[in-house]
Amino acid sequence: MTAGFDAVVIGAGANGLAAAAYLARAGQRVILVEALDRAGGSCAPLALAEGFSASLAPALYALDARMVKELKLASRGLKFAERDMPLVGLRSDGKHLVLGRDTHASARSIAAHSQADAKAWKPFHRELFSFGRAMRKLWWEEGAAAPRFESFSRMSAAAFLDSWFESDALKAALAFDTTDGGLSPLEPGSALVLAWRAAQEMCGLQAAVAAIARGPQVLTETLIEAALAAGAEIRTGAAVAKILVADGAASGVELDSGERIAAHAVFSSLTRQRTLATLLPAGEAGFAQALPAPRTGSAMIALALKSFPQFAGNAIPRNARFIFADRLESHVAAHSAAAAGRLPHELTMELTIPSAADPSLAPLGQHVASVVVRPVPLGVDAKQLGTEAIVALNRAAPGLSQQIAAATVLTPSEIARRFGIETGSASQLGASWSERLATQVRGLMVLEGPIAAVSGRAGRIAASLVAREKHR
Amino acid sequence: MRYDVCVIGASTEGLAAAATLALAGLRTIVIERNAAPGGRAGTREFHPGFRASAFLDELAPVPREIHWAFDLTRRGVLFLPSSPSARDADARIAAALARAYEDADAPPRSTAWFAKSLPRRPWPGEDWATRALTDFADGDLASATAGRTADPALAGSALHLLAPSNGGMVAGGLGRLGEVLAACARDAGAEITLGLDATDIRNAKGRATGIGLADGSEVEARAVISTLDFKRTFLSLFQWDALPRKLIKRVSAWRMAGGTARVLFALGAPPGATRETVAAGFDAANLSASYAAWRAGLIPEKPPMLFRLVSASDPSLAPKGAATLTATLGSIPFRLFDGAWTHEKRDALGARALATARSVFADLRVAASAVIAPPDIEEALGATEGDLWGGELAADQMLDMRPGPRTEISGLYLAGPSTAAGPLATCASGVAAARAVLADLDAGRLK
Repeated sequence: MTAGFDAVVIGAGANGLAAAAYLARAGQRVILVEALDRAGGSCAPLALAEGFSASLAPALYALDARMVKELKLASRGLKFAERDMPLVGLRSDGKHLVLGRDTHASARSIAAHSQADAKAWKPFHRELFSFGRAMRKLWWEEGAAAPRFESFSRMSAAAFLDSWFESDALKAALAFDTTDGGLSPLEPGSALVLAWRAAQEMCGLQAAVAAIARGPQVLTETLIEAALAAGAEIRTGAAVAKILVADGAASGVELDSGERIAAHAVFSSLTRQRTLATLLPAGEAGFAQALPAPRTGSAMIALALKSFPQFAGNAIPRNARFIFADRLESHVAAHSAAAAGRLPHELTMELTIPSAADPSLAPLGQHVASVVVRPVPLGVDAKQLGTEAIVALNRAAPGLSQQIAAATVLTPSEIARRFGIETGSASQLGASWSERLATQVRGLMVLEGPIAAVSGRAGRIAASLVAREKHR
Repeated sequence: MRYDVCVIGASTEGLAAAATLALAGLRTIVIERNAAPGGRAGTREFHPGFRASAFLDELAPVPREIHWAFDLTRRGVLFLPSSPSARDADARIAAALARAYEDADAPPRSTAWFAKSLPRRPWPGEDWATRALTDFADGDLASATAGRTADPALAGSALHLLAPSNGGMVAGGLGRLGEVLAACARDAGAEITLGLDATDIRNAKGRATGIGLADGSEVEARAVISTLDFKRTFLSLFQWDALPRKLIKRVSAWRMAGGTARVLFALGAPPGATRETVAAGFDAANLSASYAAWRAGLIPEKPPMLFRLVSASDPSLAPKGAATLTATLGSIPFRLFDGAWTHEKRDALGARALATARSVFADLRVAASAVIAPPDIEEALGATEGDLWGGELAADQMLDMRPGPRTEISGLYLAGPSTAAGPLATCASGVAAARAVLADLDAGRLK
């Protein structure tokens, strides 16, 4: 058995690296083990084509600002190419909807679809943002839920949006975010996913979506640097076979190679279900942890484009999140189809073109695009999905299909197999941090946010919870 | 004359409230727009000699203690046996009802600083807010969703199990239950005025003081109980500027989910040997597709239909040698995508029900039929959008998320399907409202 550590961290994603860095800073002996040959998790670069740099998570919305500051990531080289990407709802009639930070400009854009919605936009924005801020207490500070949490958490996104707006264009664009976490916009709790997005802060801006200069692998690089500088040990190509448990407490991990690493605490970046069901010895997980497995997931298509796509219709910003969804019902129907194992008739998608703000990601004049298709069945056929998605893209940006130099389609099951990243479930949005991170095995923590996102927050908080435990 | 309590609507809930209050010695009056008491529990002769309960064949069960308190059996209400509930539903309903009564008996929530910091006590049945009907392997989707609309694959649809319609048919039609409850209230000393419409709730300084009637007269009362649904109560009986803004917002955000249509068939002769109840189109996939159609304002391709040969269990509903067949259709939109409900559309719906009926019942000889579409239900009962359950049975509109019995207007109480006890059982929401009035009178909160 390898000499004892205070803590083992499984998985070198943002959360795992953050946990390792924080634990090492607190003076603990930490080892981080990563199954793949390189660190990064969903920030790792994807092979696409020579000169094109793509990744699973080109646009981030949930990065932990406190972590960025405390681990001095900015001075280690973390910079943002884009701080606040607007949301663009693409419309077949060309009256695209642009929703940005400026509420007046957004309202003007909405007015083309509905005067009443344009009027409702400002109060909606104010209410959602203030509720989101109030919910930070539960979600990552310490404290109780906001007063209106009870009714909000049982509301569906469709009911919430219907109570504010009438136009299909606006509701369709806003509803894309609510399906993150595997819920249908008709299911209770999906409204809370909107509030979860609204609670986030990037670059000092509430609910902003930002892109890191030179791609998200820079986040990985700076986090590794911070962890190593603090004294953590990082090992890649070391897959964990099981978590060792002695007397109801985690006592270390056993690697695939048979090597055992002893430690007082184990942190897992895998989902709670994966950690408890596959890594724990039989009988330790208990029946209570048999969480329902998600039925739908997100697929990702990375495209190398020879030129910037030309969208028909009125002028829109180039560096935005382009939402493909006709109506709110499109998301509902897509979820029903995906849950039943079929590819939806109308794909609901988000397109981002990170090279618009950061030309270093693609050869001069060319672009790299990433398309998130959600929801889709977990085991969707990659070829069929790719073909249909490109048909849909081509409809909005005629001629786009001729501009594709290379494409990679990653289905949810492929993402799980290659990166070990699985769709979480939004059903945990009502739980506090300590409930969400802890497991029934003493010393074992799951580094999972309520919704899977590149964040680091779970890692930071888990490390601080352990440090506090030690002080006691 | 000044009354202690004025009840709007002689539905099962209104009559149960009036009977409870009158038995407690309060001077009570019930105002009903229709010529007959009962509300949803109504029986209609739709063709000479052929009768049927117009809106539903069965209501939710009447809780045993209410059944005994009003002595319903001796007064002549005979419930015919019915289908059993889904597993664990009865226990949850009983516990949730107990909780609703507890809230009615307790004084209104204290606004003291410490009350806010107390952890909220979860309601029984709340755990089903994240469950889907399809999670229940033994789930009988037909009895859980008949006459309503729901996607059984979506989380939260399990809450439909807390709004059962398996109280059993009443011998002689559901209207009998209304008549008996009315007699019960009268015997206890309550006045019942039929055929008179309440036009508004009189209020002064945020306090309800009585109601105005269609004939121009006024009834003064210390407390008013409305059995109309949440939307109807506040949107049709108040001037908007008399209501607090927050309440207006909540009322307008309240979602109705009317999806019931009925087709009543008068048959010249009983059909060949078949079961009395036949469910068609209640498989999960068709229910999901029908729900999607309903949301889009379309009549589903294959609306879920529950057929009952009501005259087989209750021969009084048809002339000798003939038979009465009812079809309860679900997922029928109140607002159609292509405009108003016309006679042609009603006829087409009836023809569709008949075609399905012919495929399940052999040798059907139809003498006459009547179609009742969602707007007809709204018209007849004043149920907004024809929703017999007073609002969509969604997670944010069930249990404690339903309004009442107390409201933001002091002296105004809510009973009926929109309240917490409404979907759980028949008569319970009326009793809960009556208990809230009695508790507040005891505590001296009503002038």
